[in-house]
Amino acid sequence: MSPHPPRWADRFLQWFCRRDILEDLQGDLYEIFDHVVAVKGQRRASWIFVWLVFRSFRPSAIRLNVKVKNSIFMQSKINLKVAFRVLKRDRSNSLINLLGLTIGISCFILLGLYVKQELSYDHFHSKKDRIYRSWLKEDYGEGKIFFNSNTPLRFESLLEENFPEVERSVQITRFEFLTGKGENKLREEVYVVSPDLLEVFDFKLLAGNPESPIPTRNDLLISEQFARKYFGNENPVGQPFYLSIGPELREFTITALMADIPSESSVQFDLAISSANDDILYDDRVRQAWFTIIPETYVLINENSSIQTVEAGMQDVVMSYLEGEVERDVYQIGFQPLTDIHLNPDIPLGFAPVGNPEYVSILGFVGILVLIIACINYTTLSAGQSIKRAKEVGVRKVMGAPRKGLMGQYLTESVLMSQVAMLLGTVIAIVLIPTFNLLTGVTLSYAFQWWHIGLYFAIGLFIGLLAGAYPALVISGFKTVSILRGSLQSVGGMSVRKGLVVVQFLMTVFLLSTTLIMKKQVNYLKNADLGYDYEAVISTQLPSDPEAQRLSQQITSGMENGELLKARLEQYPEISRIARGSHIFGTNGWTGLAYTDDKGVFRQFRLLVVDDDYLDAFGIEIVDGRGFEANNGLDRRQSVILNETAAKYFDLEKPVGSKLPGNDFDEHRIIGVAKDFHFTSLHSEIEPLVIVQNIIPIARGVSDSDFGDTVVPKLVFTYSGSNLTKGTEILQKEWEALFPNVSWNFEFISENLQNQYQGEIRMNRLITVATVLSIVIASLGLLGLIMLVANAKLKEIGIRKVMGASAGAIFKLLSKGFVWQLLIAIVLSIPLTIWLMNSWLENFAYRTDIGAGLFVISALLSVIVAGLVILYHTVRAMRVNPIKSLRME
Amino acid sequence: MRGEHIGELEELVLLTVGALDREAYAVLIMEEIKNNSSRNMDVTAIHSVLRRLEKKGFVASEMGGATAERGGRRKRFFTLTRSGRKVLDETMDLRMNLYAKLPKLTFSTLS
Repeated sequence: MSPHPPRWADRFLQWFCRRDILEDLQGDLYEIFDHVVAVKGQRRASWIFVWLVFRSFRPSAIRLNVKVKNSIFMQSKINLKVAFRVLKRDRSNSLINLLGLTIGISCFILLGLYVKQELSYDHFHSKKDRIYRSWLKEDYGEGKIFFNSNTPLRFESLLEENFPEVERSVQITRFEFLTGKGENKLREEVYVVSPDLLEVFDFKLLAGNPESPIPTRNDLLISEQFARKYFGNENPVGQPFYLSIGPELREFTITALMADIPSESSVQFDLAISSANDDILYDDRVRQAWFTIIPETYVLINENSSIQTVEAGMQDVVMSYLEGEVERDVYQIGFQPLTDIHLNPDIPLGFAPVGNPEYVSILGFVGILVLIIACINYTTLSAGQSIKRAKEVGVRKVMGAPRKGLMGQYLTESVLMSQVAMLLGTVIAIVLIPTFNLLTGVTLSYAFQWWHIGLYFAIGLFIGLLAGAYPALVISGFKTVSILRGSLQSVGGMSVRKGLVVVQFLMTVFLLSTTLIMKKQVNYLKNADLGYDYEAVISTQLPSDPEAQRLSQQITSGMENGELLKARLEQYPEISRIARGSHIFGTNGWTGLAYTDDKGVFRQFRLLVVDDDYLDAFGIEIVDGRGFEANNGLDRRQSVILNETAAKYFDLEKPVGSKLPGNDFDEHRIIGVAKDFHFTSLHSEIEPLVIVQNIIPIARGVSDSDFGDTVVPKLVFTYSGSNLTKGTEILQKEWEALFPNVSWNFEFISENLQNQYQGEIRMNRLITVATVLSIVIASLGLLGLIMLVANAKLKEIGIRKVMGASAGAIFKLLSKGFVWQLLIAIVLSIPLTIWLMNSWLENFAYRTDIGAGLFVISALLSVIVAGLVILYHTVRAMRVNPIKSLRME
Repeated sequence: MRGEHIGELEELVLLTVGALDREAYAVLIMEEIKNNSSRNMDVTAIHSVLRRLEKKGFVASEMGGATAERGGRRKRFFTLTRSGRKVLDETMDLRMNLYAKLPKLTFSTLS
């Protein structure tokens, strides 16, 4: 059989082509096809045939039968013209419709941008699909798990050496160093990174060698922002820069300048040195350790390789070292895709904060909800206005307009409207981004791309069809005879319309109650009794001895420096309750320790190193035994205080007087049990906590340690003076006298505590914005609907006024119907809200109850808003002179 | 003279239709143009031009006899109409008149 051109293209040609030219056009195409087959083969010929068919698809060749002529497609020009006229004629209605849709769309776009940003974290790296972050889990059974996304230092080289699948592996560690030389030293976060970091991640280099930005241990990579801070407008490349590392002040040279890392990146740094410095930063033991975890390790695997192979293989490699030490499934290594980091709360935090995927879906849901409210608004309003247009429909139908044509007309109107709203909404959203960021505490940005136009057009089209479908159905379904007879009293589908109004109210009331519940929970978190006083407590990080290498030395030297500062501050009467501790409240990363006790049970606890006064300074209550005594040598050497949770956790019958159940601990004694207090955020339960003055007796018995954040001690004090500036002046003066070369900073504990709930506060603000807007949209809808009712009842109102009806009676007349709809909506919203909010509240270990009061408030609020809208119309209707309304026709 | 004006491509096709005399159909016209002016044209463009010319009344068409080739589809043959001939003549006259007015080629026009 001779080759045939592609059948689908041929059929397409037959479908669209004018009958009178089809035969010869098709013949010509066949002829060319045959010719090309002979010369260049069938494949090529098919391509050319398809191309020619599409080229033939031009107006002069397209078939114009009756069906196509009357379709939306061909009629669109006339439809558009009519649509413009209709929209112009009914200005107030069009404006309300447009405004509602525009607000809905802006809100949808803003929330959509936020959701998109959250979802696209780390997506800008070109090798993102091949980059994984390693995690380490020690599982001792019975839920005793030591799980971290930080890894031993050895992982990087082990991965590169043992696996051909691994193209690169890099490590990233966060440090804090003092920067600068001589006076005015600043404490800066310095990242220690593998020198080939940029082979894995796509951070943009503005100057320097992209293949090896920090070739030697004395090179430095900085961001633009950092360059501005230290060098202003000068070119920083080639400049010297000083960091105090360990005992020495070291000179670095800036060899690379990097564009600021985008905010949607999990890996963030402004200042990086090479991991070639590891030998100065860690002693040999730490570099070989398996149970001391420090850097984040990322791997880039080859294309077509699977991470599973590496995962299983790495397990074997590590076990070959740990043979006999731990069981195989105790020490587990795993990898997590880079793009998974930002929204996966199951894997512990690394250096970057992790978003809550639930919040993202809630906000996406709210965005769609607001859009739906806006669409319903349009639907009910247009369906309501349909009575006005009954005559037009009647005339059109009599003239022979088919139903499809009428629907096309109304859909054209709604699509036109939604496209305009889409345009306005987009512009408004983009203009509002800075305000929105300010209001909600997010960092949105918008970068226009050409394909967005297509997207917006498509969304606009979709909204238009969605919002216009129902009115189009209703209007086109009017019975010609009854319209022209003028007896169109009950418009078909009234119940659907009422139902939609109920749904709209329902969503609005739901959003309102949700906002209130979230506010309540956030307030609960902010005001909960944490078990200690933090009002007016100021903390400042103490400088530790730069020569201190080991952790215990760092803590001890920091504590000693704190002692000096404390002695100086004590002379001021307005400064009281001065104390020192390794951790303060409202920060993450409290030191975690773990060990296996004498019965073989794996135990984990948090450690807090304090001085005599710390517990008193925060007003932490001792429920059993006693607290630390001032100048008690034994206390300073070996006394331990547990919190209540720890007392239970260690299974101690009489905690006071006994020891922690472990073999390897040095001499120590538990002297007291402190009442439980919330040292971490209220998201999590209180963990066992061990409080000591001297870390040594405890440190000996510990096998696992996680030093999350810095352990450098802080000094806390309460300032009771009225002038805060004076307080900071005192602190600054004494600080500079003691540590002239170290810059200082201070924090308010209460602020730190608030910062723990940033995520919740931000989400609450976002939803509040959405709620306010949805209320605006719903009131606009109500405004329009009541306007219609009022217009329809103009005569009735006129007659009643003439007969002496009061404003109250007219208010009643107008609000009749809406009251029921609102009530049904309020009742229906209650179970929906309770169900959704309960699942949200489950995120919190400590939470408020939902409470009936909230529903009363949101019900009242929505009734008041509705009442105000109706009242406005009552006043308007009352002011119309009855003579005018009655004289019509 | 609106409506009688023709474009360059239309003129080319019209001339070719005239030149092919009763044998003119789209594919042949395309090839003829290719041979004479080495201009590669798309057959759909020829069709579109022919339709335009027919609408303006410069060409007439009729279907040829049945053939076994081309999937049994007949060819549509085009012929020049009287007004088609006239518009070609007018165009040629106009060109010749204007061409005659061109100054003689001298060194000065070249430099």
